Formats: sequence, C-alpha cells, structure tokens
Amino acid sequence: MSEVVYGRLKSKKRNNLMMNIVTLVVIVFFAILVLFPIWWIFRTSLMTTPEIYKYPPSLIPPNWLFSNYEKTLETFRFWKYLFNTMVIIVPSCLAGTYTATLCGYAFARLRFRGKQFIWTLCIGSMLLPAMVTLIPLYIGWTRGLGLHDSYLPLILPYFCGGGAFNIFLIRQFILSIPRELDQAATIDGAGYFRILFSIIMPAIKPAMIVVALFIFIGLWNDLLQQMIYINSSDKYTIALGLTNFRGQFKSDWSLTMAATCMSFAPGVIFYLIGQKYFVEGITMTGIKS
Amino acid sequence: MEIINKTTRRRSRFYSSEARVAYLCLIPAFLGLFFLTYAPLVGVLGISMTNWTGLTKPGFVGFDNYVNLFKSDPYLKDSIIATIYFAILSVAGSMIYSLFIAILLNRKIPARGFFRAVFYVPFVLPAVAIYVGWSWLYEANFGFFNFLLSEIGLKKILFIADSSYVVPSLSLISVWLAGNLIVIFLAGLQNVPSVYHEAAEMDGASGWKRFKHITLPCMTPIIFYNLLLSLIANLQIITPALALTNGGPGNSSRFLTYLMYDQAFVNYKLGYACATTFIIFAILAAFTAVLFKTSGRWIFSEGGDDK
Repeated sequence: MSEVVYGRLKSKKRNNLMMNIVTLVVIVFFAILVLFPIWWIFRTSLMTTPEIYKYPPSLIPPNWLFSNYEKTLETFRFWKYLFNTMVIIVPSCLAGTYTATLCGYAFARLRFRGKQFIWTLCIGSMLLPAMVTLIPLYIGWTRGLGLHDSYLPLILPYFCGGGAFNIFLIRQFILSIPRELDQAATIDGAGYFRILFSIIMPAIKPAMIVVALFIFIGLWNDLLQQMIYINSSDKYTIALGLTNFRGQFKSDWSLTMAATCMSFAPGVIFYLIGQKYFVEGITMTGIKS
Repeated sequence: MEIINKTTRRRSRFYSSEARVAYLCLIPAFLGLFFLTYAPLVGVLGISMTNWTGLTKPGFVGFDNYVNLFKSDPYLKDSIIATIYFAILSVAGSMIYSLFIAILLNRKIPARGFFRAVFYVPFVLPAVAIYVGWSWLYEANFGFFNFLLSEIGLKKILFIADSSYVVPSLSLISVWLAGNLIVIFLAGLQNVPSVYHEAAEMDGASGWKRFKHITLPCMTPIIFYNLLLSLIANLQIITPALALTNGGPGNSSRFLTYLMYDQAFVNYKLGYACATTFIIFAILAAFTAVLFKTSGRWIFSEGGDDK
C-alpha cells in the first residue's frame, strides 16, 4: 500500500518537473517575443541606412554606430526635452501624492458632515473618463486664465488630489491600518495632523510611492494634453519632441530609432531603480480595490 | 451627571475640530471635484448646444450639433466602428495574453521575478516612443514583420498603412503593453487560498478541473477589475492616431477621441466637438454599465451571495 502511494508521489513529482520545464520554455519564448521589438529598435539605431535595408537583415549591428546618437542630438534636443518633462512631472508627483494623502486621510479617519455625499461625488468622478472634460478644461485654462503655452494646465490639476482613483487608493490603505495606533497617539496628546504625519504617512509609504508612480506614468504617456497646451518648441517635452522629430526625419529610420531609444531610457532607468515598488504597487491596486 | 455633561461637551468640541481638519484636508478635493470634474461636465453639455468656434460669440443652437453629427458627419460612423473594433480586439487580446502569462508565471519556475520584470517593461516606456518604434517594425518594405512574411513566402503587408490592417496592428501593440495586467493577475493567483487546491487534489481532481472550478472562480473579481481597466483605457485610445496615423489610411484609425481632437483643435468647432465628446461619454458609460450589470452573474464572492 505505502509503496503504491510512494510510487504515485514519485511519478507526480516527475510529472511536476516536466510541467515546470515546459512552462519555463514557454515563458522564455514569450519573454524573447516581448523584448524583441525593443532590441530591434535598438539595433536599428546603431546602423547605417544601407545596412538597415540589406536583405536578409542582421540581428546584430555590424559596427555599433554610436555616432548616430550624436547626429540625432543635433536636432533632437533630448536633454532639454527631458528637463522640460521633469519640470512637469516632479511638481505633479509631489503635489498629487501629498494632496491625495490629505484627502484619503479625511475620508478614512475623520468624521464630518456631508462625508457620504462628498465621497459619492469622488467615486462618481472616477468613472468619468478624462477625455470628457478635455475641451471645457482647455477653454478654462487658456481663455479663462489666459495660460497659453504654459505647463500650468498640466501641473495644477495634481494640486487637487491627483485624481479620484489615487484618493481612493490611499483611503483603502489607511483603512487597513489598525485604528489603535491613532488612538494611542491621541491619548498621548497628538492632534490630527500630527497623527497623519507621524503615524499614517510612514505606514502608507508604499501606497504613496504607488500614487507617485501612477502620476508619473500618466504624464509620461500623455501626448494629447501636452500637444494642446504647449506650442513653442523650447517647451517641448520628450513626447512632443519625438513626435516632431519623426515628422522631420520620417525616412531616416536609424536616427528616428536613436531618438526613440533615448526616449525609452529614462523610463527603463526609473523602472530599474524602483522596480520593487512598481510591482508591489500595481499588485496592491488589484487586491485592494 | 456633571461628568457625563463634561464628556459630551468635550465630545462635541472634539467633533467640530475634527470636522474642521477634515474640511481643511479636503480643500484640494473640493477644488478638483468642482473645477476639474463636475463643472466641466456641465460645460460639455452646455457648449455642445452652441455653435462656438472660439473666435466668435457662441450662439445657442439647441440639439443641432447632435443632429448634424448623426445625419451628415462624414466621419462619425467610421469613428465609432474603429473605436469599438480596436477596443474589443485589444481588450480580448490583452486579457487572454496576460492571464495566460500570469498562470505560467505562477508556477514554481526559476528567476520568476526576472521574467515578471521583463513582461512589465513595455508598460514603463513612453507611449509615443513605443508607437514610433513599432512603426519601424511595421514598415512597408524593410520592416521586421515584412521580412518574416517574405521568409515564409507570403506577400508583403502595409500594416499601419493599410486600412484593413491598421486597427489589428495597433491592437497588437496594446496587447504587448499589457504588462500591468499580468502583474495584477499574478497577485490574484497568489491570493487563491491553497487550501482549496489541496482539498481538491486529495479528492483526485485533475489540474484542468482545479483550474476551472477553483482558480477561475476565485479570480473573477480580478478579471472584472482588469477588464474594466483595459476597457476604459482602450476606448479612449488616441496616442497612435496623433503620433502615427492621423486617423488614416482613410478613416480606418480615426478613433472617436481623435475625431474630437480634430474637430476642436484643428477645425476649431468647439460646440460640435463637445457633442462628439458626449457620444464618447455615452459609449463608455454604456460599456461600463453592461460590465457592471452582468458582473453579478459571473463574479464569485467568497462569502456567498448577499441576496
């Protein structure tokens, strides 16, 4: 009897090992598929035009032509664009995270009149797609406040709680922290802000980092809003600069790909630094909501 | 008596200072909800009833913009078709792809963290750069995909320059970008209580049976969340049209959002564009409502049904 069970276990183990090997092979295959476009773009950025058009194309650039990047930088003002993008992103991330935390704290912990109503309005706005308010907001910023060719219409919205979704996320997080902690602090004489800053904020640091990352990715991916609010080429962001560069150098694929790779770089670097938070954060959003 | 009185008094003072702090904290949210959300929403409706061009004084035209849109707009029908076609392809593709990869990644394989990171990479690249980069892979003569096609002896395809291939080609990019869905699915899979699996294994349930009757039901809330997330994102697609196709070839990639952009910021028909905006809003609301309405039927909740 025991031998039969033992044998079954053994065959199961072998079966499992086989399955894991198959899984690994499939995963490696898909991983290569996912990375391949990026490699193809990168290798193109290091080749001359005749090399690109050769048949069959080579997988590895024959002479790693880094001078393409120098040539690209003559028109593609990468550092300027990166700086401009950061001028938008840094204050937005800081302000958005901070105000979302304040609002989330109020919704999670404080009692006040009209809470249910305001919360409903907040949740309701989450379902409202961003595209819907685009035109009235454009009119408001440019005609109402006269902000032409300015970054402010892109940055200022993040001073208003950074969007309902982020407030929601922070609230959910604060709710999962035991209230006893704040109560203990209250007994010690701490005020509400004191509790927020010295107890809640340290405890929800991961959630705050996630909110900052969401704001970062949102602005990083945006083209439409930057297109309608920014006109002068001195104020171009990476997204605008690259769109414009592609328009000018449409047929010169190696230079266009060099510009593309440069635009990839900051995202990849940020990701490598903050990978842990990225993955943890995205994970949290799925579980918490 | 004295003591009770004192505590209630203290309580009420306590409450009012608590409320004051709350309102103070919520100032940003008040501003945002009013100026950035609900006032603009009313604004869209209001402007959509005018013939405002941004230059002249707006005149009230009632529902004329809507009537014109549906009766004589040359693009609206194509736009709606392109938008929904793109959204369905992208959502279906990315859901299947991300669930599949997440299930594989959930097995005990070496370097799991590394692979998860690899699948996530496309998501952190700026959208414009992704579309520009892929436009080279889709290039008509020397692009990588056409090299593959010619290797296996097929005719070349123009991909994003061909009206019948442009939407599927752009959808493939959306699927490739679905790394965030994979990470969310993976987290969900890891939250499936292992007790269920162990119990089923004892009863001799096969791997497929366990997946169908344990994993999948436990995953339905996450599937719903991902479905909603990717539907809302894909119905509002605009970046590839702005950066690459300009709505073409023909009207094949003139997504509704691009149509709105074109009306408002190229042709300066602000009133007319707001009517289009309202159609975008209606379509999104309809899809979301259907999703929520049907969700009760297929979402499994661990505590059983409340009804």
